[in-house]
Amino acid sequence: MGVKLYKELRLKNPDLIVGWPGIGNIGIVVVDTIREQIQAEEFGEIEAHDFFYPRRVIIKADLLKDLEFPSSKFYYKRFEKKDLIIFIGEEQPTNGGRMYAEGRKAYQMANLVLDVAERFGCQRVYTSGAAVAMVHHTLKPRVWAVPNKEELIDELKRYENTILMSEVEGRGGQGSITGLNGLLLGVAKKRGLAGVCLMGEIPDYLSGAPFPYPRASKSVLEVMSSILRIPIELSKLDNMDARVGEIIESIYEQLPEEIRERLEQRKFVVPTLGAITEDDQKWIKEHIDEFFKKGSKGDERPL
Amino acid sequence: MKDLFELSGQSELRSPSLVVGWSTDAGKLGSKVTDYLNKKLGSRDLGEIEPTDFSPLGGVTIEGNLVRFPESKFYACPQHNLVIFKGDAPSYEWFKFINLILDVAGHYGRVKELYVIGGMVFLGAHTAPRELLAIFNSLELKQALSQYNLGRNMNYQTPPGQRPTLNSFLSWVARRRNIPGVSLWVPIPFYLVAVEDPKAQKKLLEFFDQRFGLQIDFQDIDEEIRKQNERIAQVRDSSPEIDEYISKLESNLMLSEKENEKLVKQMEESLRGKN
Repeated sequence: MGVKLYKELRLKNPDLIVGWPGIGNIGIVVVDTIREQIQAEEFGEIEAHDFFYPRRVIIKADLLKDLEFPSSKFYYKRFEKKDLIIFIGEEQPTNGGRMYAEGRKAYQMANLVLDVAERFGCQRVYTSGAAVAMVHHTLKPRVWAVPNKEELIDELKRYENTILMSEVEGRGGQGSITGLNGLLLGVAKKRGLAGVCLMGEIPDYLSGAPFPYPRASKSVLEVMSSILRIPIELSKLDNMDARVGEIIESIYEQLPEEIRERLEQRKFVVPTLGAITEDDQKWIKEHIDEFFKKGSKGDERPL
Repeated sequence: MKDLFELSGQSELRSPSLVVGWSTDAGKLGSKVTDYLNKKLGSRDLGEIEPTDFSPLGGVTIEGNLVRFPESKFYACPQHNLVIFKGDAPSYEWFKFINLILDVAGHYGRVKELYVIGGMVFLGAHTAPRELLAIFNSLELKQALSQYNLGRNMNYQTPPGQRPTLNSFLSWVARRRNIPGVSLWVPIPFYLVAVEDPKAQKKLLEFFDQRFGLQIDFQDIDEEIRKQNERIAQVRDSSPEIDEYISKLESNLMLSEKENEKLVKQMEESLRGKN
């Protein structure tokens, strides 16, 4: 188990941004959009076979040719003042059927990523993901920012459309960040490395949807772009957002009128925990999830 | 890693071949074939892998009125220089588990060859002859086994949304360790998947018999095949509907989803507990 680096690099005060799949794929869309636009170059990977179950076997003429695993790759890009390292993991290592990483494997993965960050003199790490909130999908998602060091709080307050946990209604500054997006920041803190998690708001009723939520990715990208001082072209995300928006609207129209009316209230009031009851929330989520689950699931073929 | 497995006693094995079967397999093929080999060859316990790192252990499951607990055991047959492994597939730490299997067998010298057993679902009738398919991890072994008529020149890629089997993972790890290996697959009629398929067991056992020169007397398994055929014939006699479904399959016609379900349910009810 370990890291394979394809080349030795000298990088200038780099920051690290990481992306993993998660709710609405908000974080990974952010990081992959940056990677694509700045044309970052791949320079290493974490060996996958000890972390993941393979995802594809290739057999040719009765011979097992290859077994493919979810990738966990490092990229870099040089800039004038500060270079950038990007890490993208196609899956979070889990124990069994859980969606998010936890436990020993997750801790090992977080440490391997940070080993590379420290080896190249990284100054800060940024993770990004979803903030499930009682908001409406037509509103611009805000970005919840959680630093791992107190001295970062003032800086984060300066970014537009960004709020701290203490400013999220009904939270009292408390919360949690599941999976590697959170764990990486914890491990970074343990190592004395500064880190921030940027989470784009996604409506609770869409958090189980099987498609991305680019609207929140766009909000996070805007903030990330300001922080890193890297201009990002957002038109591709806008197109994706328009397509996903149509799907969401068609589903939304099928919700019972009473529920829809209550959700509509979210458009006009500052979100509070009392906007709908917990029972309503559960009902909406269950019924929408049920709606999404109607697609077929293929059985595993034994090869 | 020694605390993860326990070996009992010495063995005269020298660079043995390793046969692997999983306890949970279509038609119980893995467990039935390994149990049969162990019984016929008089294998003795060699050791086991502790489940702590590989199963949730949040309680136990109950199967057939009995408590079931993850078990992964090795058996030795020094006479034929064979190690036989029968185990529950791990819930996580797959790579570590697979390496442990190869480590334990490799304790007696480099594993000569690996044979992994697997049953796969077949949409045809039980009256069709069973086939033996093979996926090799080395061209040399493929050539060495050419006399057994295993080759189908098969090309395959895991479709999106599905995952490879643990057998493929095991074969791949073996190749990384320079152990030639083959995954042996027998298609099992879908309505026998949840019960047993002695005909499929015999197909595999015949291969092992020839490959390792075991000289097994198959009278008992032939008797099982006969009994199962008789039971299925009784079901067909008593239910024209089931008979029609099987006849359709025998004519290479597809059944509807509903017909499939009915056939599976009826066969499970009729055959379960009688095997």
